Amino acid sequence: MTASRFLRHETILAVLVVIALIVLGAQSDKFFTLDNLLNQGRLMTEVGLIAIVMTFVIITGGIDLSVGSILGLSAILLGVFWKNLGLPLELAIFLALCVGTLAGFVNGIIITRFRFPPLIATLGTLALYRGMAEGISQARSVRGYPDWFYILGQGQSFGIPTQLWLLVFVAIVAAIILGTTTWGRATYAIGSNETAARFSGLRVDWVKIAIYSASGFAAALAAVIFVSRVSTTRSDMGTGIELDAITAVVLGGTSIFGGKGTIVGTMLGLILIQALKNGLSLAGVKSDGTIVLIGAVLILTILVSNVIYRGGTR
Amino acid sequence: MTSAVPVSLHSISKSFAGIPVLRNIDFDVRSGEVHALLGENGAGKSTLIKIIAGVHAPDSGTIRLGETTYTAVSPKEARRGGVATVYQELLLFPELTVAENVFLGNAPPNKAGMLDWTAMRRGARQLLDSLDSPDLDVDAKVGTLSVANRQRVEIAKALSQDAKVLIMDEPTAALADADIRRLIAVVKRLRDRGVGIIYVSHKLPEIFELADRVTVLRDGALIGTRPIGEVTEQTLVSMMVGREIDHLFPRGEPNIGEVLLRVDHLGFGARVRDISFELHKGEILGLAGLVGSGRTELALTIFGITPATSGTITLDGQPVTISSPKQARNLGIAYVPEDRGLQGLVRPMTIAQNNSMASLHNVARGIFINVATELKRGADSITKLGIRARGPDQVVGQLSGGNQQKVVLGKWLETAPRILIMDEPTRGIDVGAKAEIHALMSRLAGDGMAILMISSELPEILGMSDRVLVMHGGRLMATIDRADATPETVGAAMTQASAHEVAA
Amino acid sequence: MSVEAAPSLRPQRGALTRFVSAYGQEVVIACAIVLLFAVVSAINPRFLAPNNLNTIVSGNAYIAVAAIGMAMVIITGHIDVSVGALIGVLATISGTIAVSGAPVWLAWVVPIFVGMGVNAIVGALIAYGRIPSIVVTLGMLSILRGGLVSVTGGAWINNLPPEFLLAQQRLLGVPVPVWFMIILTIGAFLWMRYTAFGRSLYAIGGNAEAARAAGIPIERRIVQVFMIHGAFAGLATILFATQLKIIQSTVPPNLELTIITAAVIGGVSILGGTGTVIGSTLAAILFSAIGSALIFINVSAYWLRAVIGALILVTVLADMLRRNREMQGAGR
Repeated sequence: MTASRFLRHETILAVLVVIALIVLGAQSDKFFTLDNLLNQGRLMTEVGLIAIVMTFVIITGGIDLSVGSILGLSAILLGVFWKNLGLPLELAIFLALCVGTLAGFVNGIIITRFRFPPLIATLGTLALYRGMAEGISQARSVRGYPDWFYILGQGQSFGIPTQLWLLVFVAIVAAIILGTTTWGRATYAIGSNETAARFSGLRVDWVKIAIYSASGFAAALAAVIFVSRVSTTRSDMGTGIELDAITAVVLGGTSIFGGKGTIVGTMLGLILIQALKNGLSLAGVKSDGTIVLIGAVLILTILVSNVIYRGGTR
Repeated sequence: MTSAVPVSLHSISKSFAGIPVLRNIDFDVRSGEVHALLGENGAGKSTLIKIIAGVHAPDSGTIRLGETTYTAVSPKEARRGGVATVYQELLLFPELTVAENVFLGNAPPNKAGMLDWTAMRRGARQLLDSLDSPDLDVDAKVGTLSVANRQRVEIAKALSQDAKVLIMDEPTAALADADIRRLIAVVKRLRDRGVGIIYVSHKLPEIFELADRVTVLRDGALIGTRPIGEVTEQTLVSMMVGREIDHLFPRGEPNIGEVLLRVDHLGFGARVRDISFELHKGEILGLAGLVGSGRTELALTIFGITPATSGTITLDGQPVTISSPKQARNLGIAYVPEDRGLQGLVRPMTIAQNNSMASLHNVARGIFINVATELKRGADSITKLGIRARGPDQVVGQLSGGNQQKVVLGKWLETAPRILIMDEPTRGIDVGAKAEIHALMSRLAGDGMAILMISSELPEILGMSDRVLVMHGGRLMATIDRADATPETVGAAMTQASAHEVAA
Repeated sequence: MSVEAAPSLRPQRGALTRFVSAYGQEVVIACAIVLLFAVVSAINPRFLAPNNLNTIVSGNAYIAVAAIGMAMVIITGHIDVSVGALIGVLATISGTIAVSGAPVWLAWVVPIFVGMGVNAIVGALIAYGRIPSIVVTLGMLSILRGGLVSVTGGAWINNLPPEFLLAQQRLLGVPVPVWFMIILTIGAFLWMRYTAFGRSLYAIGGNAEAARAAGIPIERRIVQVFMIHGAFAGLATILFATQLKIIQSTVPPNLELTIITAAVIGGVSILGGTGTVIGSTLAAILFSAIGSALIFINVSAYWLRAVIGALILVTVLADMLRRNREMQGAGR
């Protein structure tokens, strides 16, 4: 894991991003307009927040399929707390964030205490949390939030969409934690060799629980922004977002087996996906056609980096 | 039909990563004999049987199976040549039934290409009955069986392939006394049927009961092949451990201080039973015993991986509870584990990162790791321990075994431990690095560190220890002072216990 | 150990004990279904009306059929998250052929082969490209889902010829999907249990190293099992696409996860190596029975997924506890 090898996948990806931007920019005048780019940033935020924490989860060798459902549950409860229980919106937001964190904490407990494989545990809570969202909401949506709430999802601060500030902030904090702190080191160590990490006196279970809780928190935060952006809460919010987030993380070079990956890679993966979606649609390709390309890029990037990785080390 | 010598090896050599593990070995097994293969850990027994089974290819030499001579055999050729192996880690499928496991890979299909279920079950039944195991249900899932029964399934599997030679790798290591007796009966029965058996074991009493001939390996060299009547337990032990012990071990005059660690009636389930001992400052306490005697389990209990279920641990006269490795570390206990790759190192990480793994507080300000400090401490460890590497940012997985072991040791020295537990500290590393690690241990003890050293190598135990504890079956069998510790006394304490169980 | 030390004294276990021990999870689910029917029909006898039973069993038959293939994939230690999208694509292909005037049987058969072809690629990428199955199928999910919508433009297929609608037909009074489900489940079960090929899947998932030592060609088997899985996806598609007079270009959201869940609740361990397809079929029936039951006992069907989620966690936990006990009983 020397710096050069560590960054190899990110380099491939960065080159891909640049090529994509140039090609896409050439296809349409509108692509490189500030408005367009900022708007893309806005659309990227919810997946981005989730993908950033998902990077930690996957580096530990785990996976969290329940984030989309946590998003839905938190969104629904935000509406319920505010509208049905009549709580101040600030408090409702706070409580929704708490619920999301708690949901993630429960995942962590199931995985560490009951030794469930993460895939199964979060597959179960995926259904459970989504079911709770559906059961609580009974397919009713909540609308009519006060104006100040929409600043978060639809407004701007200093000329930049508000949530983009948040995404950038979270990305920087996460990159610092993963890259420079003892917590980040523990994350990598657990993913590379959980037994050795335990034998070295690291608090393996504690770190995992914290990461799954953070994953729940990120999903809840994405929920608040989502609600603010689309002005309504629905129980199906965030369906399938877990796969988008995982795609971005894996495209970003994080190994699905754990132990390897960076926030920079995840952000590049996100940008590449969003740029492809947007650029191709501006170039006249039907928007759904672009995700074909995303899937192909995902498989090819891993295939290429697999070949290089194996050729380079063994 | 069967030739009198179904397997014979001539002048076999093999190296791994440049380190020779077998040198010019001649070996054969005759039909209807039990040929015991003996040697300390790392002597080359496993490599030798894997060459016969076709898992490894030798670098030079020839292998004769029946009438055919090979320079290397594939697993398939070995099987066709009538060689079957019962490995220590049994290669069974826990979710398949006994009958399915027996016939997997050589099932008798019927006309329709389907498995002939009835024939399989009947065949398995007959094989197991012939192994004196009529109580074993052919429809039970293998995962639900005891180790002894799984072993019988493996043997049945070998027989179903019409084996002329059966290799058994430490078959009794994980068995209880009653099962050992049954296994021995089965082996005798197979021998009488004309099967040649290569029997690998540490346990001398078994060998005297079973073997017709015995071959001893040491450090990859053939020490000798003798008919069992010509050897005694003493001769075998000295063949195994050798005599040139003394100058290798630079143990100076020990400087032993007051009691640091006291363990009273410590227990963990059935694996560690009622262990009491004291460990002094500046002392190297050797912990000897055969594989499976509970040595490692005792270390894991003291280190908090498997917290004690009974008894007390006293440190500096204060009773302490240790329920996690973190607690043990904070109390100044370090554990250099037996399995470097699995328990000791994070192989994709660098030397510096591994070096700081157990002592991140040393290289971090708050939660932030200071990479410069970390690299410097990594570089310091490299110098201090003489690790041969390009630098602190080299990936640990690229280092040789000896240097990896030094990294693990360095990681724990970073925590400034007062008690150092070393589990097989020099297993699988070359002679030079071995000597360096031994010198280092002497120096650390000289500085007042208390060292508990677990080892399967008798010379190491005898050369390094100030006192020797001997374990068997999870219990402490003997405590022997340095002056009284000889291959004979320690070896006797290790084997006497097993003599009881077989002779009984 | 003492038990084994006394040979011949212990009688062979009875057939029933053996059956329950080998098929624990299947028995549990079957009991759950029976219990559910007993309780719900006591509260509301209309639950047992033939019409409702028909809906319960035949409505989810396509999930059961797809779960058979999924169970095989999971038993070999892999996973496929793209099967939902694949079914969507195959349904559109099937519908397009049906309205083109080509013979109806072609509309039924082509999806099976296309499914096998697509999954042959998936399997090859996993086995020979050494990409983890979750990554390959995640990519394939995007490709199939996006490809479908961009080709169809989200349009529905109407005017399907009535003879195409296989799922609405009956044979001997029993809906065709039920026939499919029963025959395929039993066939696959027997095939996995009594052929060397079927057993080798368990071997690969249980202990790949030992399987290789036993001479099983692991890479080829992985490709083959994915192709078989693709064939089952094709068969599931026929049932799914012929339910209604229209074919939408979308499938129910999270269809792939529902299919995986059926396999897992049915007793297939996500770690590979264990489980049978009978369990997954029973689990698929259980899902739709629960959905229907919620309506009949006046609980909003919106709670269905919460119940299923709790069910996953409880069954897996029970399975783990059972295994731990067995291991402790056997180990030492």
